[in-house]
Amino acid sequence: MPDEFIQNDSSNPLAPNEVQVIPPDLPSRNLWIKPQKNTVLVSHGRPPWYDEDGVRRGDAFVIGIAGGSASGKTHVAEQIVKSLGSIPTVIILSQDSFYKFHTPEELELAHANKLDFDHPDALDIPMFASCLADLKACKQSNIPVYSFSEHQRLAETKYLYGATVIIAEGIMALHDAALRELYDLKIFVQCDSDLMLARRIKRDLEQRGRNVEGVLDQYLRFVKPSYDNFVRPTSSHADIIVPGHNNKVAIELICTHIRRQLQERSHQFRSKLAIPHRYLPSRGGSPLGKDKSEDLNLSVHPQTPQLQGIYTILRSKDTSRQDFIFFADRLATMLIEFALQHLPYTPHHIVTPVDESVFNGLKIDSKYMCGVTILRSGGTFERGFRRVINDSPVGSLLIQSDAQTGEPLLLHVQLPIYVRFRHIAEKAYVFLMDAQIGTAAAAFMSIRVLLDHGVKQDHIVFVTFLVAKGGGISVLRRAFPHVKFVCGAVDDVMKERWVEGYRGEGNPEGLPKKIWVMQPGMGQIGVFI
Amino acid sequence: MSAPPAPVAPPQPAQSVNNSFAHMNPLPPSVFTLPQTAQLEALYTIVRDKETSRGDFLFYSDRIIRLLVEEGLNHLPVVKKTVETPTGAVYEGVGFKGKICGVSILRAGEAMEAGLREVCRAVRIGKILIQRDEETAQPKLFYSKFPQDIAERYVLLLDPMLATGGSAMKAVEVLMEHGVPEERIIFINLIASPEGLRTFCGKYPRLKVVTGWIDQGLNEKAYIIPGLGDFGERRYCE
Repeated sequence: MPDEFIQNDSSNPLAPNEVQVIPPDLPSRNLWIKPQKNTVLVSHGRPPWYDEDGVRRGDAFVIGIAGGSASGKTHVAEQIVKSLGSIPTVIILSQDSFYKFHTPEELELAHANKLDFDHPDALDIPMFASCLADLKACKQSNIPVYSFSEHQRLAETKYLYGATVIIAEGIMALHDAALRELYDLKIFVQCDSDLMLARRIKRDLEQRGRNVEGVLDQYLRFVKPSYDNFVRPTSSHADIIVPGHNNKVAIELICTHIRRQLQERSHQFRSKLAIPHRYLPSRGGSPLGKDKSEDLNLSVHPQTPQLQGIYTILRSKDTSRQDFIFFADRLATMLIEFALQHLPYTPHHIVTPVDESVFNGLKIDSKYMCGVTILRSGGTFERGFRRVINDSPVGSLLIQSDAQTGEPLLLHVQLPIYVRFRHIAEKAYVFLMDAQIGTAAAAFMSIRVLLDHGVKQDHIVFVTFLVAKGGGISVLRRAFPHVKFVCGAVDDVMKERWVEGYRGEGNPEGLPKKIWVMQPGMGQIGVFI
Repeated sequence: MSAPPAPVAPPQPAQSVNNSFAHMNPLPPSVFTLPQTAQLEALYTIVRDKETSRGDFLFYSDRIIRLLVEEGLNHLPVVKKTVETPTGAVYEGVGFKGKICGVSILRAGEAMEAGLREVCRAVRIGKILIQRDEETAQPKLFYSKFPQDIAERYVLLLDPMLATGGSAMKAVEVLMEHGVPEERIIFINLIASPEGLRTFCGKYPRLKVVTGWIDQGLNEKAYIIPGLGDFGERRYCE
């Protein structure tokens, strides 16, 4: 493994990102789970956050919550999340993660409870601000992990991506000007000192196994002066001051404000959202995708007899499932081999075992190659990919379309480690794989996810079996001119068609739904897999 | 594509200009190579490198073999075939025609059987053992076993290296004795020498040769230079 990440991440790269699912509908409060901090909370999937030019529209909504220790900041944050409910993705970012890395001397003091954790200098504010700025700009962030038992920042980091609402909370959340710049809404939780002390004693005795004397000593030495000198004055920066108890009304007011803000934002660009089927011809209308195949700049695999034969088998409705899987797999391997032309190569001289002869060859000039399949039909490519590139991580994105609006929704993000770290993502080559590009909604979203992570456009190679020329590919091409598209066949048109509906979320009656299909097409590939 | 174009010739036929063939121009018309792309060159760089580990040699030579088999299959005939797609449209495609069988020249050719089987699941495979007769220095047939109906099949003859072409020609001789017409044999190899290709194609001009790379020549021990060493040794023993 390259050195670059050993220092960055010691956790298992294959471990899934922790995602906690919040029940989307408010009435079912009994299903409510207490939200975890520093975790992307997902309700019903993330709708598009970019326009038809592929440009991101607007930032995440950032809320800063400050207040004294044990004033009830976390409670306020949790209540906001709970009350917002149907917001697709939320992160509660805790200031505690950003305690500085301690020197051995500091560490000794810390273990003797003599290190001042309540002073602004104990925190790595620039790092806090830069992580928050990244998240606000919809980039990924790898936030530090701080261990309270070891009183030390750990070597590992925690990967976060894709929140629409970010709540940053901590006693110093409003202390620094750089942080305050980032907030769309600043909240200060006001609480009487005696109440905070009472709560603190209770919590530290019950949860942290301390004694009263120790707690009081720490309170008088650090907590109280810090509150008076640094925390309470920051209340003047707040947009709203919330009482530390009996604050239901205040939270309701805040949530109404947030909801209105979010709504205004989405109204601003709703009409410009990239929902590619808008650009498709309606029944009987003339196709909008007038681009010629050449203009689309697709890398189409040479139409060899074998390739044509494989497509004939895959397209036939009489093909058995077993045959379909076998030939799809064979085709996937051919296409990935073909897609390798888009990697960079550099001269490489080697010596062969025969008479020490020299061969002036080539080698791939990239340390970081990885694959991302778009579930579920992109999974067809996984074996083919492994057969060609055996030592690279493969991640996945789950993107499904909303049954009612047809909007794509990002449901699950599990990206390869090369993409999670921005400095590596900027150098990485990523093979995106999906069975076909029809409306291009999922392709659009997945490319946007990679760009958000810092992957360069011309380092993305999209591999697919089938592209519909009259479909969303034109929009995709216009938005991302440098992405490489590799396919084995190009179909002419897309047509609207009703398909059998499945009883399930968002479609309780199992009504048939309208989808776009390619002609002649291959049918719904995922169904076969 | 509602009306697929007529089957086109496989990519990179003999005529195209390529530096790696500068020493052998023109190629015999029955010789076809893989498209000489950067990614193919990178693959060959790995398998040729004497520092390459056995695991990598296996993985990367398997990838070349798969490309070769796919290319070899492109020389089989296809027929027009119309199917109905699940969307209800009619698609005019092609269907595979003609039964095939693989024949490997032992021992190195055996390494290519798995690659063939990966692409053609139920393919029948025959074997030939040919070794140099120490007395006459000529290739001598020691063993052969073929499917019974081999005379009716297209034969993919598998041997990774075409050096002098001696054993390959002997193998073709044996196949023809079993009733396989010359034009129904496709000889697949990873690396060929210009000398071997000339001799082989001179003797069997109607037999198609699919090769991945044409090297500079042979050394005094009849090894291909720069080559990749003894394929069987590197694959099975080293």
